[in-house]
Amino acid sequence: MKKKIIALIFLPTLGFSQGFQVNFQGQAQQGMGGAGSAYAQDAAILFFNPGGAAFQHGNEISVGITPTFSKITFLEDNTNITANTNSPVGTPFTAYGLFEIKEESRLKLGLAVYTPFGSTVQWEDEWVGRFAITRLQLLSIFVQPTVSFRITDKIGLGAGFVYSYGKVNLQRDLPLQDAEGNYGSVELSGTGNGFGFNVGLYVQPTEHVNVGVTYRSQVNMKLQEGNADFTVPSSLEDNFPDGPFTSSIPLPSVFTLAVAVKPNDKLTIAFDGNYVNWNAYDTLAFDYENNTSSLEDTKSARNYVSSISARLGGEYKFTEKITARLGFAYAISPVQNGYVTPETPDNNRFNYTAGVGYKLNEKLLFNASFLFTQVKRKDTNLETGLSGQFKTHVFAPGFAITYKL
Amino acid sequence: MKGVSSLIILTTIGALFGCKPKIEAPEASMGDVNAAKFIAIGTNNTGGYSNDALNYTGQQNNYAAILATQFSMVTEIGFKQPLVSSGSVGVNSIGQSALKLGYKTDCKGVTSLSPIRIGASGDLTQWSSVAGQGPFNNLGVPELSALNLNTAGYGNSANGAGNYNPYFSRFASSEATASVLSDALAQNPTFFTFMVGDFDILTYAKSGGTSGPIAPASGSEGVGFDGSIEAAISALTGNGARGAIANIPDVTKYPYFNTIPYNGLTLDADNAATLNLLYDSYGISFVEGENPFIMYDSSAPNGLRPIAEGELVLLSLPLDSVKCHGMGTLNPFRDEFVLTLDEINEIKTKIDEYNSAITSIGQTYGLAIADVNSLISELKTGTIYNGVSMSASFVTGGAYSLDGIQLNPIGQALLANQFIKAINATYNANIPHASVTQYSGIIFP
Repeated sequence: MKKKIIALIFLPTLGFSQGFQVNFQGQAQQGMGGAGSAYAQDAAILFFNPGGAAFQHGNEISVGITPTFSKITFLEDNTNITANTNSPVGTPFTAYGLFEIKEESRLKLGLAVYTPFGSTVQWEDEWVGRFAITRLQLLSIFVQPTVSFRITDKIGLGAGFVYSYGKVNLQRDLPLQDAEGNYGSVELSGTGNGFGFNVGLYVQPTEHVNVGVTYRSQVNMKLQEGNADFTVPSSLEDNFPDGPFTSSIPLPSVFTLAVAVKPNDKLTIAFDGNYVNWNAYDTLAFDYENNTSSLEDTKSARNYVSSISARLGGEYKFTEKITARLGFAYAISPVQNGYVTPETPDNNRFNYTAGVGYKLNEKLLFNASFLFTQVKRKDTNLETGLSGQFKTHVFAPGFAITYKL
Repeated sequence: MKGVSSLIILTTIGALFGCKPKIEAPEASMGDVNAAKFIAIGTNNTGGYSNDALNYTGQQNNYAAILATQFSMVTEIGFKQPLVSSGSVGVNSIGQSALKLGYKTDCKGVTSLSPIRIGASGDLTQWSSVAGQGPFNNLGVPELSALNLNTAGYGNSANGAGNYNPYFSRFASSEATASVLSDALAQNPTFFTFMVGDFDILTYAKSGGTSGPIAPASGSEGVGFDGSIEAAISALTGNGARGAIANIPDVTKYPYFNTIPYNGLTLDADNAATLNLLYDSYGISFVEGENPFIMYDSSAPNGLRPIAEGELVLLSLPLDSVKCHGMGTLNPFRDEFVLTLDEINEIKTKIDEYNSAITSIGQTYGLAIADVNSLISELKTGTIYNGVSMSASFVTGGAYSLDGIQLNPIGQALLANQFIKAINATYNANIPHASVTQYSGIIFP
């Protein structure tokens, strides 16, 4: 049966941003605003600066989790309608293992597993932006085997290979109504993977100052086996065939310059400056295997711009057992006006963090941290026309256990 | 250790409760508008005519009803409409029911999604008067001419078919004596919307320019557009009521006039050759591929000519005759199916004249002027609203009903917002806009 052409512009939206890049890769670092690339204090240095791993003593295993509570409110321009997310708790986790081949060796081997992008944004049912997005779930796991070598007593160099595995599930409603008033919808889901590396140089010029330089490469997450699942009125089923699609997302490279200062035995001040090459994310393309007149391949402009963030933190050892930390970070949003999307209504932001460490004995260490950030953004999206103000609150309490072998 | 876990528990609880971000909305206000008695005067879109008939869904979702909903978010108002029964198939002045999207098989046996009538006949019982439920806030009367705004007995069925307006007849306070204006004034409105004149243009356009001249732009009440409008506005504002007046959209931008391409005649080499033999003596030739259809034109040599680029073929064209019976080739289109360049020019000139009158009267009486013309232009170009793309494409454009002329609920919400924009700007008000995508578009089977 021949069907009339239903020419719908099919607009997928998928994004992520600074918001999902908050460093949840180490509890001690998290307590210090996410700074730590020049301060090797535990196995999380495998992520922050592979070059610093060689300065750690002994063997160490550490696992941590940061339940992330994120709530977004949207106030639409002109209609004054508000909508909220009811997203589930995000659970970014980390697992680090740091080993030496023989005691006091210059060579360290490490394995890091972490989740640099991972969250679910779920908007309330029938919200005004339902035709842009209703739900986006992103999960990524990075596995990073690492080699770190102390070239001299003052210089360490490290490199890790990164394998990333990701899962994405994106849902939105389609403005196609059946006789009962139900709208159509689409669910795009798939898994992908990518490769990259993480290298770092760690230098201790004096007893009181450390310097770190690191580069985490871009990782192109390729969605090879995506599946598009359409629910549409029966008369349109031929126009929207379920089937495979491919897509890819560049996770940007990050270049970091870091310094840590230890004026005395008790106090450490750490600073990290990041340059994030978001320019790589200029287009989001979806390639459907079964194209029809209604379902064409799409290319959506994202036009992200590269951005910087600065992280500053302090740590104070009250006693041999108890350490307190405080920090904050400022991150500039890569999202330009006209490109703000409801899954990550990003903007320049301050992150406020605090943390504590408790050393039970020479083998067992506990660290906890807390992060709060608030983001406001007003925009009119050029692609969907959605116009209004977003306000996001993120609370992220985290906890980790470290065991020294 | 205990301290650490209680910190986690506390922050978790804190995160779960009481931290939903809040954004202050600007305070809504009616400004200088007193909507205690809100009256809507207008034609097809106002009266809830859509899918080519008066019907319940169209009435529930016309822009005046949507405006009333938005007003009621700010202030208490009542809004009563002369509704047809909710289960009715609807009715139009030639006794047809409303359209729905369904399957239709054409003369070549091809079945496709297409507008079809809901019922074999319109629901004629809806013509019986509901005046007893009045008075009504919505005085939208489909097919109302600006010249008849104050015609007493405009709904008088005693005048005989064709000499009265049945849409007004069914709710006029008195068939014999009431005019649309008198029924409005009798309610002493404090605020009104006014969208009249579009049907005068549309009558001419829908007839392919064969209906006789468009009502003159100037002339006294009942004779010319400006005099008729000014008399009505003057009376409505007489006791201090404020109001919003809509300008006239360029009706040639409706899907009805833009769906069938002038050069939609696709020929293979054989057919082109055959037609060339037949039309050789007329000096008309055909090529393989796209060709303009042929129409009758008494001013053309031999009375026939190809339709020119820029001329518009109407949706009233019997498509089966085109597909299977040589209409547009062996059997040229009659003038009623085509708006010629001259006719389009006449329409645009009249719209400009009407709109200068509307602007001038609107300014004189301090009315808000709703820019409906720009909305219709925007739809013709194509626009996007909250992820929903809209255009003037027939059926799929998203804002027009299945008749290709009147708006569907989404389009009506866009129309209501044009009024709200003008009211807010003119009367220092801050009335929230309607959330367009919460209204229905085309319903697919």
